[in-house]
Amino acid sequence: MSAETASGPAAVASTTALTQRFGSTVALDAVDIQLHPGVTGLVGANGAGKTTLINALLGLRAPTSGSANVLGLDPRSQGPALRTRVGFAPERDVLPDEMRAVDFVRHLAQVRGLPRSEARTRASDCLWLVGLGEERTRTLGTMSTGQRQRVKLAQAIASDPQLVLLDEPTSGLDPTQRSEMLTLIGEISSEHSVSVVLSSHLLNEVESVCDHVVALDAGRLVACGPLSELIGDDEGVLVELVDVTEPAGTVDAVERALRATGIALERSGTTLRLGGGERDELCDRARDAVADAGARIRRLETRRRTLADLFETTA
Amino acid sequence: MSESTESGVEAADGAAQILDQRYRPYHGPRHGLAGAVRAVLVSSMRFTLGLGRPARHKFLPWLAVVVALVPAIVFVGIATVLDIDLISENILPEYHEYYGYIQAALFFYCGIVVPEILVADRRNGMLPLYLSTPLRLWSYLASKAAAVAVTLSVITMGPLLFLLVAYTVEGSGPAGIGEWLTVLVRILGSGIAIAATMTAASLAVSSLTDRRAFAVIGVVLLLLGSSLVTSSLVETAELDPRLYAFNLFEIGAALKDRIYGIGPPLAFVEDNGAPGRRLSELATWFVLCANAAWVLAGAAVVWWRYRRIEGTQ
Repeated sequence: MSAETASGPAAVASTTALTQRFGSTVALDAVDIQLHPGVTGLVGANGAGKTTLINALLGLRAPTSGSANVLGLDPRSQGPALRTRVGFAPERDVLPDEMRAVDFVRHLAQVRGLPRSEARTRASDCLWLVGLGEERTRTLGTMSTGQRQRVKLAQAIASDPQLVLLDEPTSGLDPTQRSEMLTLIGEISSEHSVSVVLSSHLLNEVESVCDHVVALDAGRLVACGPLSELIGDDEGVLVELVDVTEPAGTVDAVERALRATGIALERSGTTLRLGGGERDELCDRARDAVADAGARIRRLETRRRTLADLFETTA
Repeated sequence: MSESTESGVEAADGAAQILDQRYRPYHGPRHGLAGAVRAVLVSSMRFTLGLGRPARHKFLPWLAVVVALVPAIVFVGIATVLDIDLISENILPEYHEYYGYIQAALFFYCGIVVPEILVADRRNGMLPLYLSTPLRLWSYLASKAAAVAVTLSVITMGPLLFLLVAYTVEGSGPAGIGEWLTVLVRILGSGIAIAATMTAASLAVSSLTDRRAFAVIGVVLLLLGSSLVTSSLVETAELDPRLYAFNLFEIGAALKDRIYGIGPPLAFVEDNGAPGRRLSELATWFVLCANAAWVLAGAAVVWWRYRRIEGTQ
């Protein structure tokens, strides 16, 4: 899948009208996505269909209708061949406690098709890569949650996959460990040319590491595309006013004044979100409008659109 | 100038080689499904025998092997010391009679050791990981069943093969190469048959629960219960001997006897007090079908159970 199309790198995976039903529950509803090289964030609340989509991409579950293509292969009919080229780390934090980390990673590499000697070498290499080189002979039961998540990552990349599917890889980690894990995932993708699909319900961590985003909500596709296009780079301004009683109606007066100047404005209570202009200009106009209305500012800050905004406007 | 090799970078003149490149692309062969099955088979065999695990996990499986082997070692020792043909003199058991000595080991191994092989993967999350590899559900289960059957065969065939070789060396073995090969085939055939039946039954019970303790209790109840109930019904209540089809130990023993050419009427059928004497009344085809039914029923239960586990459809 190294060929590139005129519009950019070829997709490492795609689905067409992929639908998955469990009885009357629609887990995936005619989902059309394209996953490109790099790190793709698969976001959505719990129950949005992230794990179902991952299972469909791995060929572990036959879709009710629609189709998928991963690395040029059909997951349903070519699942075993596909899964030698795809790494996977499940969400569940349960690993064989008595097994040494290096044995665990080596075994999974062998099961994914590597010869024994190569699997042994790569198991050590991968554990060094994820920062567990010195800990590789420890049994998994003695490791912390953060270390176990790293071991899961190591086993997923040990067989040199072209695509790695990580289901909630930061689950159970503290903020520092989460940041380190995300940095590691980014490095694996950028330095070793491994495409990564990162499933998470934490939008800020997806924003921090992902190039592309697939957003699901209750089985429906909310958004799919490059992160920069979906949330944009334009920085708006957020103005939070104090709702004073004297003079009355100052918030309304500020809103009217700003709208009169042609600024795009969204209001939520006493909070105004301004857009459609240069940051400095928006700040100046907000300051002038507040001064003219005799209002008082509690907070004035520049801001970017976030994935949370995307969910709010499209879900 | 240097060139990349599968495991590192080698100088053009071969004088120097960088062996440790850390994480790097792999362009060598991949073994696919066959490699996956082999890896799980070997790993499961090692797991079952406690190899690469803490000492407490080695104790039970090797105790079962020792329990099975000790009588054979004692018999060979006696034969060597007394220097007479003890088998012909009916002092030492014949090959088919040794089954009675390994029943305890079989019970011990199937009841306590085997359940862990399936239960552990479901409990510690290895099952979804395995299914994200080239393995499919059927190949995963086949690997596990093969691992149990092979290690169980150590108990069902190991002592008898030891006896055959030792008796042969000592001079009490089968007369002639033809008879020797016949005994060998019978040992292998009966060993495989018994191992297959016991594997299917113990894996079927183990597949029904995620708790090892419950699996152990279930297998023990199946082995002991089926033996006690059917023996009572047939021997004491004089009911139809075909009820022995539900007795794992006896129906396996019956098949073993037929493989050794000891069909109805059995030599000890005259002894009305001998337990299991009415096994001799069963037709060979019935014994064969009963054993096959245990294997098929066990496989069906395991398949049915695993098809209902999330993520295995």
